[in-house]
Amino acid sequence: MGEEASSEVTAVAAATSSQDPEVGLAAVAALRGLVEVLEALQVENARAKGWSWQQIAARLGVTKQAVHHKYAGGRFRLRRESR
Amino acid sequence: MIGRSEHVRRVLDLARDEADRLGHRYVGPEHVVLGLLRDGTSRAARVLEARGVGLEAARAALRHLVERGVVPGPRPSDAELLSTLGIDLGAIRRSTERTFGRTALARATRQATRARRGGVGRVPRTPLRDPPVLATQALYHAGEQARALGASEVGPELLLLGVVTDVRTPWPRCMWNRWQRALWASVGLPERYQGAAGSLLAALGVDLDELRAALLAELRDAVP
Repeated sequence: MGEEASSEVTAVAAATSSQDPEVGLAAVAALRGLVEVLEALQVENARAKGWSWQQIAARLGVTKQAVHHKYAGGRFRLRRESR
Repeated sequence: MIGRSEHVRRVLDLARDEADRLGHRYVGPEHVVLGLLRDGTSRAARVLEARGVGLEAARAALRHLVERGVVPGPRPSDAELLSTLGIDLGAIRRSTERTFGRTALARATRQATRARRGGVGRVPRTPLRDPPVLATQALYHAGEQARALGASEVGPELLLLGVVTDVRTPWPRCMWNRWQRALWASVGLPERYQGAAGSLLAALGVDLDELRAALLAELRDAVP
């Protein structure tokens, strides 16, 4: 961690919280980056455990087509077929 | 395949730390130059020092480039941003790595940040990964120079030679797509950023041709 720049930035972040769009929007973008990876991680895990797209979609609260469109093809499907 | 030496890996770690110090959320060739200077034990660093380039001078020059708008100013890190939402990124990183393992995490990161049909839910980068290294072109040129000179691996001198070559060579067109632009924007870089090592070395009064010749001479001494 860089001492001077980092502590300055932390102070800025703490002082303005999410009221400042600069910080608030960047925080949401970081959160999205986190969510997408966690979702991919869980979907891959579920597929490896033999879950169907339908089951995964139901837990994620989206349509079967949506989750299939997003994750099917490539390694997730190949893995399923090779079982 | 020409690998990087242990020394170069240390230099790249220092480059990452220098970027962090400036509040930069990416690692560019300009930080690699700072990393080489901070390491200070390589012949590449000595070549730079012989041209009057020191670590403090280089840091000051890079801070000046921030003022000129060539590179962005300090930005909060992902961990700091997420803490404003009450999220402990470190805890998430640790628990996901423990539960799913490093390789599964790397695969999921790839899935979320690389091409996916229609680009649905694609993100430019993830807080679960270290800041992006945008010095890949310099590293590529370093590898090519190593091949040309018959070196077995990329050392600090070849790394600096790669940075110098990178300054002279425009980045390939294939690097300019909307995903790349999204990544640039997410770390606050100007749209036409192609590394700021050229501006940094110019601000320090280094003649690139002469630096290149000096590095080649150093390398010829080492690799007979």
